[in-house]
Amino acid sequence: MINKQIVIKAVSTALLLSATSVVHSANWLMLQGTEPQGAAERAKVWGFIQPEYQQTDGTKLQAGPWSGQNAQFNLIAPQRQTDSTFNIRRARLGVRGTGFPLDSKVNYFLLAEMGNNGITRPGGGNGAVRLTDASITLNHIPGARIRVGQFKTPTAEEGLQAIHVFDYVNFTNVTGQLMMERFFNGDGADTFVTPAGDSGPGGDPNLANGPVSAFRDIGIQVFDTFKVSDWEHSYAVMIGNGNGIARSDNDDNKDIYLYWSSELIYGGKGPRRDSLKLFVWNQDGKRTLTTSGAGEYDRTRTGVGVTFRKAKYRAAAEYIEGEGMIQNGTDGGAKPGSASNVSGTTASVNVATNGEADGYYLHFGYAVLPKLELDIRYDVYNRVTNVAVAERTFDTTTLGAQYFFNKKTRATINYEMRNAEAPNLPSSAPPNQILDGIDDLLSLQLITIF
Amino acid sequence: MRNILITMCLLLTTLAALPSYAAESDKPFADERIVLQISDADPFKQTLVLNVANNLIKHYGPDKVDVEIVAFGPGLRLMFNDNVNSGRISGLSDSGVKFSACKNTIAHMTKLLGEAPEINPNATPVPAGVVRIIDLQNQGFKLIKP
Repeated sequence: MINKQIVIKAVSTALLLSATSVVHSANWLMLQGTEPQGAAERAKVWGFIQPEYQQTDGTKLQAGPWSGQNAQFNLIAPQRQTDSTFNIRRARLGVRGTGFPLDSKVNYFLLAEMGNNGITRPGGGNGAVRLTDASITLNHIPGARIRVGQFKTPTAEEGLQAIHVFDYVNFTNVTGQLMMERFFNGDGADTFVTPAGDSGPGGDPNLANGPVSAFRDIGIQVFDTFKVSDWEHSYAVMIGNGNGIARSDNDDNKDIYLYWSSELIYGGKGPRRDSLKLFVWNQDGKRTLTTSGAGEYDRTRTGVGVTFRKAKYRAAAEYIEGEGMIQNGTDGGAKPGSASNVSGTTASVNVATNGEADGYYLHFGYAVLPKLELDIRYDVYNRVTNVAVAERTFDTTTLGAQYFFNKKTRATINYEMRNAEAPNLPSSAPPNQILDGIDDLLSLQLITIF
Repeated sequence: MRNILITMCLLLTTLAALPSYAAESDKPFADERIVLQISDADPFKQTLVLNVANNLIKHYGPDKVDVEIVAFGPGLRLMFNDNVNSGRISGLSDSGVKFSACKNTIAHMTKLLGEAPEINPNATPVPAGVVRIIDLQNQGFKLIKP
């Protein structure tokens, strides 16, 4: 069990270390929050485009009240209207720099999303260009840089790292379900009558009430990096709204984030620098529901992991656990808003407000050629482990390849072999019959960074 | 006797008119003398000018090439003490590369910043960067602006 005290002690130790000049490898805190001193542009325009194609076999639900209908997990996000589609997954445009180049102590970062995903079309709804990052960093206090605004939280590695250098198309189950937060008004327990409309309490089938968190929050962060011999130690302490992006808080509670990493630098520079990094983090907050299951609930997430990159070899592993506000799938595995075959129930998204979950992933990559990398990843996610009948386990093996046309443009192909089960129920039980229908997923993605 | 005196006067006058390399340069045996100008705000130019200096040292050898980097205008940022390239500047300085920082630009930046910028200790302030370049050219230095 990861102890928040361990994270606190690690962060405190960092404050005692002396700071020396550092070069930032896969140090996402520094790469995203700061600019090279004395050598940054006033306004550097940058961005990337990610068109892609994804498909499953489109297997329908095999059991339950929505039997024969589309399975939520076999439809392609965010609209989930089909099992195969081309899409502009991400299209981001940003600007970063110093504003006043003579003063290296102040830098900014601004980024907007115009692609088709859970940021711009939550739950597949109406689209909007959305601000993903807007921050100012003050570098006046030695050992304590201050970043204010909306930016990535110092938590899970898949979320914290820059998405445009991510080795895969889709996140692991543990990151995608436990860390990519969706926000709801209720826990989904209410029952609604269809097709005429809703007659149950609450009034809607508990759809997301805003964009996904995109691993970001709005708040203030204190952080820095210290070089000791060949090691680079980093810490971050952040306080944020805990209510997602591009909107203000919805209650008086704030999330606290603690992060520590120690990185042994082998060589190179930039996000693909050779290094061995160990990291640990913790997020502590509360969420407020206003409809079904109204009340305040704790939401805690903790993780520990390692990344490795040297010459042709890459590897990563992370273990994450969570308590409270566990996103718990949809009724019968159906697309939210779908009317069931019997009793007129509308499928809702469910939240296990007092649930517990955990998961991990292992990733290995090998650059067989300078322009070709092969990747394999295995991830496991155990959801609602504290309620036997409700527990669900997801395991996925992803085979991948990346071809680099140049260092700014690459193509990625992934094949995800997906499995899921209700481990405490017999195989003949409807949940297992439903989960037996989860298809493998093929995805192809192209990205160019400018 | 008078002819010998006139000849000696002419000889001394000619010697006095010759460029005094030994007086200005501490590399009397250098085959090449190069002054590199950086006056751009582009951060890429900072890396480029240091790369050029390094390549010159590598090619000719530290004793066979006399290199001086003169920074003025927006290029003076390279000579800030907190510049991310300060480590490279120290290394090049150890190899004999000289760095000059324009005092006129320092004065202007002081007005903009409200305080004097901290200059890299490896850099020598000169009254005017462009005048320094002209003086070096008059001494036989070749000007390169990467």
